Amino acid sequence: MTWRGADLLTLCQDALRAAGEAEVEIYARMAERGCARFAMGELGQHMQLSEPYAVVRVAHGQRVAEAATSRLDRETLVRTIGDAARAAKHIPEVEGFPGFAEKDDVPLEAAPRFAEATARATPEERVERLTPVLQAIRAAGMVSAGMLETSHAALAVATTRGCARSHDGTIASFRVWALETAGAGGAAGYGGQLHRDIHALRLADETERAIRVCRTSRDPASLDAGTYDVVMEPEAATELLEWLAMIAFAAPEVEQGTSPLAGRLGERITGENIDLVENPLDPSELGFGAPFDREGTRRQRVALVERGVARAVLYDRTYAARAGATSSGSALAPAPGSPGGVGATSVALGPGTASSVDELLADVDRGLYICRLHYVNGLLEPRRAVMTGLTRDGCFLVERGKIARPVGNLRFTDSLLEGLARCDGMTRTRRAVPTWWSDTGAFVSPAIRMRAFRFNGKSQERPSLAP
Amino acid sequence: MTDPGPTAEAALQAALGWLRKQSDVRYAEVRFVEGAGEHLRVRDGRPEQVATEATRGVGIRVLGAKAWGFACTADTSEGELLAAAARALSIARASAQIARAPVLFPEQAPARGTYETRVAADPFAIALETKLGALDSPVRALRAGDPRLVSAEAWMDWTRQTKRLLTTEGTDVTQRFTFGSCGMHVFARGDDGVSQRRSYPCWQGGDGFQAGWERVGALDLDGNVDRIKDEALALLRAPACPAGTRTLLLESSQVGLQIHESCGHPTELDRAMGSEISLAGGSFLQPGLLGKLRYGSPLVTLVADATSDGGNGTFGWDDEGVPAGKHALVEGGLFVDYLSSRETAAALGRGSTGTMRAEAWNRAPIIRMVNVSLEPGVAGTLEDLVADTADGILVATDRSWSIDDIRLNFQFSCEIAWEIRRGKRTRIVRNPFYTGITPRFWNSCDAVCGPSEWRLWGITSCGKGDPMQVMHVGHGASPARFRDVTVGSTS
Repeated sequence: MTWRGADLLTLCQDALRAAGEAEVEIYARMAERGCARFAMGELGQHMQLSEPYAVVRVAHGQRVAEAATSRLDRETLVRTIGDAARAAKHIPEVEGFPGFAEKDDVPLEAAPRFAEATARATPEERVERLTPVLQAIRAAGMVSAGMLETSHAALAVATTRGCARSHDGTIASFRVWALETAGAGGAAGYGGQLHRDIHALRLADETERAIRVCRTSRDPASLDAGTYDVVMEPEAATELLEWLAMIAFAAPEVEQGTSPLAGRLGERITGENIDLVENPLDPSELGFGAPFDREGTRRQRVALVERGVARAVLYDRTYAARAGATSSGSALAPAPGSPGGVGATSVALGPGTASSVDELLADVDRGLYICRLHYVNGLLEPRRAVMTGLTRDGCFLVERGKIARPVGNLRFTDSLLEGLARCDGMTRTRRAVPTWWSDTGAFVSPAIRMRAFRFNGKSQERPSLAP
Repeated sequence: MTDPGPTAEAALQAALGWLRKQSDVRYAEVRFVEGAGEHLRVRDGRPEQVATEATRGVGIRVLGAKAWGFACTADTSEGELLAAAARALSIARASAQIARAPVLFPEQAPARGTYETRVAADPFAIALETKLGALDSPVRALRAGDPRLVSAEAWMDWTRQTKRLLTTEGTDVTQRFTFGSCGMHVFARGDDGVSQRRSYPCWQGGDGFQAGWERVGALDLDGNVDRIKDEALALLRAPACPAGTRTLLLESSQVGLQIHESCGHPTELDRAMGSEISLAGGSFLQPGLLGKLRYGSPLVTLVADATSDGGNGTFGWDDEGVPAGKHALVEGGLFVDYLSSRETAAALGRGSTGTMRAEAWNRAPIIRMVNVSLEPGVAGTLEDLVADTADGILVATDRSWSIDDIRLNFQFSCEIAWEIRRGKRTRIVRNPFYTGITPRFWNSCDAVCGPSEWRLWGITSCGKGDPMQVMHVGHGASPARFRDVTVGSTS
């Protein structure tokens, strides 16, 4: 059957009634994902993925146990509730646990999140849409890689205290690379777009962007490490923001003291022109995700950093109760092998005032234009948000306000907060970039300009052969 | 060993039988997977996570006339499995419309048999209170005695997975795995508000293994509390790791992660050929370098061994029915082979090294590391190696990791480092990192400690694929020494 959120909610409520336990929460999700993954110019992995998942939490007082299952039927859910109930008897209390969410009759904000065309996309349709993509890149003398994904996720949360939520969302995601070599490095260009409606994807435009960047990236010069002004495309900036979100904005990291925001709410932590918002309810085409979290709490727009000042952190119900705060609706949904927790899913930076990337470049005397970043890691010194990573898929030297030539990939190591303190330009237009760890969220960023970003290494050296 | 049960078994056979009858099916595999998991985490004296999970379903991968298709279902009834088989075939047929040439997929002799992790004490039979107690005790001890010890956490995870693989070639294997991992860490915070973390036994996620509850006792969390507390506190007042070009000693677990990022991933043949661009990138180890590239010094022999006892990357057969084996990837410093699949190896005219694995029933198999390990050397113990080093830096316990999209330029930061002067560890230094270029780094290896220091580590969260799949992999290593490495501090 094709699950809808309302079906899941009915199932969860039936299971709650049948189980007879006093304090239970069920989060249920069913995602159907069509993934057409292409590489080496061929559609090599084409998959229809079913992801049924339900997580039950049972509380005996403040003793809370969790059990999950991949089977979405009443009998299994009732049995899973029983498993969690037995475990809850044997575990210590969770300090601050406030009970599960109550009934809430105020309607949720209904941001548009669903497109029937995406939910119904077929393998044949994905192939039809990809055919010109592969042909265009081949015609350009390049190698293609990427993914066209169409997914539909149905969600529901129900509690014995009367909370009842359901949601349906679709995502059509297209990512494309045009490459000089299939897997050996060299010039590369990237294009990508995310939308709830597959009909809104501009595959030809994004393919052309990838081809253009690849074409202009050939024969890169070797540039020494050093300090450079940088202009980053949204895809590069969001990679940094994802790591900032992981280390900075969630209550557990703040409570533990490792977050840059710990003990610094109300203090300036970065530049005055920096606004960072957790914005899960964005009604525009940049918004994705459900209007409630895995606990059923309505999600909120939270100003995390306002004009460079740390303003707020994100809570679930338990961390909020412990801190004397209110949940921001930021309980992350668990997935197989992933515990969930607390965190951001929809961080947005900016926007700025620049009309284009060219306007940002115009005020760079000597610097770098960076299309994407690769393998960023933000765990070096979380308190300062020190991160390292590399450029990828287009890195260019900028001289006297113009792109001068492509350069080989470089490694940066710098504090993002200090980098954002040196940010003096952002574009008005922003892009939504899918988060790499989730199929349900996207971060939003303009292109940004940061002064004096620190690079400490370079890549793309070719190994020498044995004699 | 559990099996799918009579109803599901008949459904699996029915799906396979239907696929055999389709004229354009060249190969198909029906993979039943049933899993159970338990995840326990205690933080600062309270349970942060007490969770179990159960999963069950079937993945069907079909090679049609020209292309692959994959579909899956959590419903193991005959009707649903037949429908999933039909979906997989229809996807293969749709993909064939734009395939330029048929996939090359050599035949494989059918495999039959069973594999099971050796378990002395079943972790799922141990009382929950006992397991939580084993975590709560070190957590409380880690926080005791000094107010600067601001947070402590300990965790353990158990996974049991039963996997039944049936293929149209006649392969029929059943495997039952028991995976575990366990670890702890403590944060100390100084007057400046900056925290330092020390972990045991290794980086985040702890050490993974295939074994039972007996491994938790052997880890001896309680016995390592005082050491990591002392080191965390010492780091608060330690100077920054001095920058420069230095002789670098890596303790065993750091060698393991170095192998993972700079040997394991770049020797994945799908990555080298270009199949993984959409998440992870390519590889500098291109097929033309096989047998020619001096990847490391003559002391460097790296093997992919899916038969290592208790390894996180150990199994009986991969998810294409290829038996587990042991293959040198780098022999005496020379790059000689890849981690491969039947399809990718055939493209090079080679045989598969048997590394195709899927995270779960609802994912298609891709090439994954097995246990990729550095063979031990003759440099004795870590302390022998320190004594043999006039001037250097010894780093331990990874904190961050990053490597470029063809696996050349890497950078790791670690939790702790010691300066070595005239053969002795001297002061502790903080926030160390080191960076390099993969073949230059491995060619600078001039000492590898001996078998007594060799330990098989397990990584529980290796990510690859798109959508990302997380896999258990292993790395055996002794401490090793590298010359002329760029070292610095993030401070």
